[in-house]
Amino acid sequence: MDLPTLKPFFEDKPELLQEILDRYPPNGRRSALMPLMWEVQRAERHIGEARLHEIAEIVGVTVTEAKGVMSFYSTFHEHPVGRFHLQVCRTLSCKLAGGDELYRALVEETGLVSGETDAEGTFSLQNVECLGSCGTGPVLQVNDTYHERVTRTRLAELFAEMRAGREPVPTRERGGDNVSADKAERVDAPDGTSVDAPDGTSVDAPDGTSDEEGGVA
Amino acid sequence: MSTVADKPAAITSRFDPRYEITLYRHVGVDGAHTLEHYRARGGYRAAEKALTEMTPTQVIDEVKASGLRGRGGAGFPAGLKWSFMPPIDGRQRFIVCNADESEPGSFKDRYLMEDDPHQLIEGMLIAGWAIQATIGVLYVRGEYYVAYERMRDAIAEARAAGLLGRGVFATEPDGEGDEATPASPGFDFDIILHRGAGAYICGEETALMNSFEGLRANPRLKPPFPAQAGVYGLPTTINNVESFCSVVHIVERGGAWYASMGTDDSKGTKLYQLSGPVARPGVYEMPMGATFRELIYDLGGGPTEPAKALIPGGSSTPLLPWSDETLDLPMDYGTMARVGSMLGTGGVIVIPESQCMVDAMANVVRFYAHESCGKCTPCREGVATWLPKMYQKLLAGLGTRDDLTLMEEMVRNLRGTAFCPLADACAMPVAASFQHFRNEYEHLVDHGAPKYPTVSRWAE
Repeated sequence: MDLPTLKPFFEDKPELLQEILDRYPPNGRRSALMPLMWEVQRAERHIGEARLHEIAEIVGVTVTEAKGVMSFYSTFHEHPVGRFHLQVCRTLSCKLAGGDELYRALVEETGLVSGETDAEGTFSLQNVECLGSCGTGPVLQVNDTYHERVTRTRLAELFAEMRAGREPVPTRERGGDNVSADKAERVDAPDGTSVDAPDGTSVDAPDGTSDEEGGVA
Repeated sequence: MSTVADKPAAITSRFDPRYEITLYRHVGVDGAHTLEHYRARGGYRAAEKALTEMTPTQVIDEVKASGLRGRGGAGFPAGLKWSFMPPIDGRQRFIVCNADESEPGSFKDRYLMEDDPHQLIEGMLIAGWAIQATIGVLYVRGEYYVAYERMRDAIAEARAAGLLGRGVFATEPDGEGDEATPASPGFDFDIILHRGAGAYICGEETALMNSFEGLRANPRLKPPFPAQAGVYGLPTTINNVESFCSVVHIVERGGAWYASMGTDDSKGTKLYQLSGPVARPGVYEMPMGATFRELIYDLGGGPTEPAKALIPGGSSTPLLPWSDETLDLPMDYGTMARVGSMLGTGGVIVIPESQCMVDAMANVVRFYAHESCGKCTPCREGVATWLPKMYQKLLAGLGTRDDLTLMEEMVRNLRGTAFCPLADACAMPVAASFQHFRNEYEHLVDHGAPKYPTVSRWAE
């Protein structure tokens, strides 16, 4: 992992900085605080002390205030996370789908417990609360990407990819009305009004299989 | 389906032939997130209608007539909320979309944003027109990265197509002389997309506003309500993703059409979510007033193992014991209130017989403990500290009968005493678990071991 330098993060990114500041009204400069933190964290996998000073100065708040905001949110990291940040949901619906066992398997596989990063900077493991994937649990978030319905077999595949240094591609798990096969497509009639396809009220059950959808990562 | 002489019976079942999937029409369809796909299917026609043919008051009246109640969980009438905005006085006004979906058991908004972002943009545009707010704020929870990207790209597409920005649906003067229609300047409206960073409390509207302003997401004292002092202290209206999406169809097809679905106090079509050990979990769109049985059995394929309880609307809503009576209850706001629970977000979680209830509730309590912001004493001490410790003690087999009494008392004392609803959200399900499953708590303290040992449900 590269050592952070003292060169200000936004020094050579004036356009990006301006674009972020311009999103908000003139009286709302402080709103840029979290977006600036996101930029730093996405690039450096954490928000270091020097970066925090820089951001505080940009938006015009004290470092203590900026630190207060940063520490409030669970997805901002003070220390660098590994190349693969493994976040496993442990809330009720995922628990009912095996979330606890998934976490234990991750502990065994990585030798880490929640909150730790390995010495090589490859994996970080973190227990997180509900990721909003309750119908497709258990869910494992790797960096920005959700991997849903992670079975024991699927987990082994994910680790094979990650250990080979590749970002695993998710299978887009679907369920309920997210399955396109039984979707009532509305088509435009010649007179411009909308009509429903004849099978519009089909409620045939989806079979729970997943659509492969690459490129989500 | 029986009908009376002139007024047909309301649609309360998905199997009613008159019912059609509306909000989730494009969800799950490949490529549906593009502007091209959306416009080819009539997208932005409702916004054009609202902005060019209707006054803001007419839009609000249509939403009032529809009976739409806020879909974020509280169920407050949306049209009424919009009418709370103060008269236009030259100050900037905001319309805010709460896309911080994080109530356990809720996962409907994520798919709306991932697969149909333009429906949400259109809804926000219409709502902005209705309350005359020229800035929309879309606050997406940090973990929803795909949704964030899709919304970002969709907003850029909409800007490029003139559907956001200056003079939306502006018209040139047409014709000559007396028959000329004057030019319309259109409506200035744009959306600020803002990404959260992992805090359940941001779903509370004033906490969300603080977060947007770059502050710690502690809730604010109410009153003043957002309509008086919201984002940056300016007049603001805030709604849930699903509410905005519903508005599109209410404007397009009329409030009366929307109100033809549902029950007396709950109108329209709603996204219900089903999780837990059932054959086909997922989001199902159904008319208000459909029963748990229809959701869990007819659509969800039924439980895969014997069930003993269900949580009707996200983990903060009091659970209901599994019975034929419960399954036949219509899922609407009034009925859930009558049976001592809440509809919440409509996130139904099925709890299997073999799951220790104390363990399940410990999980729920840990969630709220983790998410407590620490601002007020009852929540910081009660929810974030005492309750999880008590559960830890019980599950370690060290609890006593007195502990149970103490916990029930603590939960009673938490109700209504905290600064914001988070403490109630934790206390209510715990109280319900004591009400219906006290025997499991007693078994645990009497035997030092749970009545139902842990079983693995992890699929190979």
